[in-house]
Amino acid sequence: MSGLLARRLVALPFVLLGAALLIFLLPRMAGVDTVRSVLRSRVAEAEPDPEVAARVTAELGLDRSWLEQFLRWLGHALTGDLGISFATRTPIAPQLGAALEVSAVLAAGALLVAGLVGIPLGVWAARRPGGLADRAVTGFSVLGVAVPEFVLAPVLVLLLAIAVPLLPATGWGTPAQAVLPVLTLAAFPTALAAQLTRAETLDALGRPHVAVALAKGIGGAQLIWRHGARLALTGVTALSGMFFAGLLGGAVVVEVAFGIPGLGRLLYDAVVGQDLPMLQSGLLAVVAVAVLAGVAAELLQLALDPVARSEAET
Amino acid sequence: MPTTPRRLLAVVALVGLLGGCGGTAATGDPVPDGELRVAAQFAPRSGYAMDTDDAFVVAQVGSSEALVRAGSDGTPQPGLATSWRQDGASWTFQLRPGVTFHDGTPLTPSAVVTALTWVAGVAAPPRAIKGIGLRATETGPDAVTVTTAAPDPILPLRLSSVNTAILAPSAYTGGPPSVIGTGTGPMRLVAAQGNQEAVLERNDSYWGGRPQIAKATVRFITDPAARALALRAGDVEIAQGLPESALLEFTPGNGYADQTVAAPRTVSLMLNQKGAFADVRVRQAVEKALDRTALAEQALAGSALPASELYGPAVAWGSQDPPAGPDPQGARELLAQAGSPQLTVRLQTYPNRPELPTLATAVQGMLREVGIDAQIQIGEYGPQEPQLLAGDYDMFLLSRNYLTDVPDTGSTLVSDYSCAGSYNINQYCSPEYDALLAPLATTTDPAGRQAVFRAAAARLTADVVGVPLVHSQENAVTKGVAGFVVDPLAKQLITPELTRAG
Repeated sequence: MSGLLARRLVALPFVLLGAALLIFLLPRMAGVDTVRSVLRSRVAEAEPDPEVAARVTAELGLDRSWLEQFLRWLGHALTGDLGISFATRTPIAPQLGAALEVSAVLAAGALLVAGLVGIPLGVWAARRPGGLADRAVTGFSVLGVAVPEFVLAPVLVLLLAIAVPLLPATGWGTPAQAVLPVLTLAAFPTALAAQLTRAETLDALGRPHVAVALAKGIGGAQLIWRHGARLALTGVTALSGMFFAGLLGGAVVVEVAFGIPGLGRLLYDAVVGQDLPMLQSGLLAVVAVAVLAGVAAELLQLALDPVARSEAET
Repeated sequence: MPTTPRRLLAVVALVGLLGGCGGTAATGDPVPDGELRVAAQFAPRSGYAMDTDDAFVVAQVGSSEALVRAGSDGTPQPGLATSWRQDGASWTFQLRPGVTFHDGTPLTPSAVVTALTWVAGVAAPPRAIKGIGLRATETGPDAVTVTTAAPDPILPLRLSSVNTAILAPSAYTGGPPSVIGTGTGPMRLVAAQGNQEAVLERNDSYWGGRPQIAKATVRFITDPAARALALRAGDVEIAQGLPESALLEFTPGNGYADQTVAAPRTVSLMLNQKGAFADVRVRQAVEKALDRTALAEQALAGSALPASELYGPAVAWGSQDPPAGPDPQGARELLAQAGSPQLTVRLQTYPNRPELPTLATAVQGMLREVGIDAQIQIGEYGPQEPQLLAGDYDMFLLSRNYLTDVPDTGSTLVSDYSCAGSYNINQYCSPEYDALLAPLATTTDPAGRQAVFRAAAARLTADVVGVPLVHSQENAVTKGVAGFVVDPLAKQLITPELTRAG
């Protein structure tokens, strides 16, 4: 396991460097006039004077070559200086840190709900394939996957903030304000976790060692939890790393619907406003978290699954 | 556990029953020292930088003020300055006595000079004062003289721009000025949490009288449906910019008050006069083909007003008349006379104003009736702009605010329609029109200027320089609030008169 960790950590800088290069180049290849976008908040639709545009271009450092811009940005980023936002003209690090914190809470909350609800549901469904519980869980899973967040969010608000006024409809900062966004965000991973757990549990129950367990007289819930669900957990765990990174930067709809100042909204605003330093730093942070979460999930999977562990060691 | 699903079902059923009902509180007696929560439509995007459109947010929440206020009739009114007089290229402003900033320091000529010098010196000066060579100097103990490169007849109106707000000298310490606790308005900004919310407390020493509201929280919720839900859930008392469909839910019977006012914004169909629409008969045919009343009342479900010309009821010089009805037969005859009975053109627009794609589809249908095949292309505005300004397009659906900063549309008439205009998308050039605008360079009197605006708009209508389709509207819905007025210029939201009502 330590060998795997070492291999992943050695690869990490190269992955981040490749990602940084792509993240730097892609917005510049889109053909959008960055200076014009930055100036839109100052001059609206009117064409800016060429001398003003030139002055702002120089001020933002966009008059240098791409290579020089990239190396300067990378050099500063390596020393922890993420630069100044084109939009707010204030340091990026505090804004990015605050947004990351919000999104991490959202994503972790959603994954926690997915694990606590999805896995037991999947095991419950696998106990009797085709039974009432199985059909109910499958129906729930289909809904969870099919209903988009922009529909689920207002439905939850109608239910739990208006019809039965238990929770606030919008905002961020109190535990109560986190409930509805977390539930909205958790629907998809919960549905997926339930189906994955169901399939893995059924598969595990059909394996020879479970047949042996049955021969030993171990049965019922104990059999399912010790020999089936534990194996199913490994698949869910492997997926959770990917989900965490996806939820971190991809919760734009939920963040907009509930007025949450998270990373998804920050990145969306950066794309619209061509705030390149913010976009670059935000995306790089997402990639870094994705890689680290992937490694963590892989390690956890190895800890849970002896077969995978022995395969990794050979 | 059979009861749990039943309870869930009961909750689901309740949504249907209660979903359409709001609260029952009606607007009643003022509640002293109340707290107010607002769902604002537009969030600050530039860190509350006063040289950007974020200055509108700072003004709306009642924190900042400028030397001059803009009256609803388009005239300059006293603000932090009580009077002013012109002497050639200089205007002298007499400062209001007894005004203090939120940090406790007094309003002085030096503070005004610091603020105006900063905003005039930024890399990209705001629209209202761009390119006029503004300089400010102290003139005695309670006056400031503002000089421009050439005599400027509307300098007081320019200084009503939110970008020219005067903050305390402590705000200007290098970098973007801090707006926390540095304004002069009725509410003191005490916390600004990015683009999530702003928290304000009453300015007890406000020069315009003690504000009724003790504390206000402004949440920036950019999604209109989320604003409507926040109001229904009781999270806020005021919600700006709700969708027309949502307004039906907020009835007076449920304790809500809806205010809808005409905004100084027009959606126009721009027609390239250096391309497919060089012939005025083809432009007239387009005008006759379009049913602007149907566009406003059916396509946009009444959320806009039909436009008969560039300016609408939002301004004193705007037209109050309904547009002429459609005349498809007349349109076909004009196209035949112009030798283009069948025409295929591109109809471009952009999606970040949701009404534009809807209008494009409706316009396409109306044009098809007269033999014009308009092929819709929707893309982001930014990449299309160079093509538009270069005249490489056929038709473009554009939403344009003609009073972005000051209640004077002279600069828009020049930039958008004069031969040398920097934003002349229609590619229109008429020496007669340019001559019409000439008096604007010297006319100070608002009535005289508004007469020019009317004449210019009439000329543009006669020459069919694009087709104004609809005028946008602004709305806000309140509950448990008194003294609230929607400002079509988006400069005021929280005022000293605003109060909670129970």
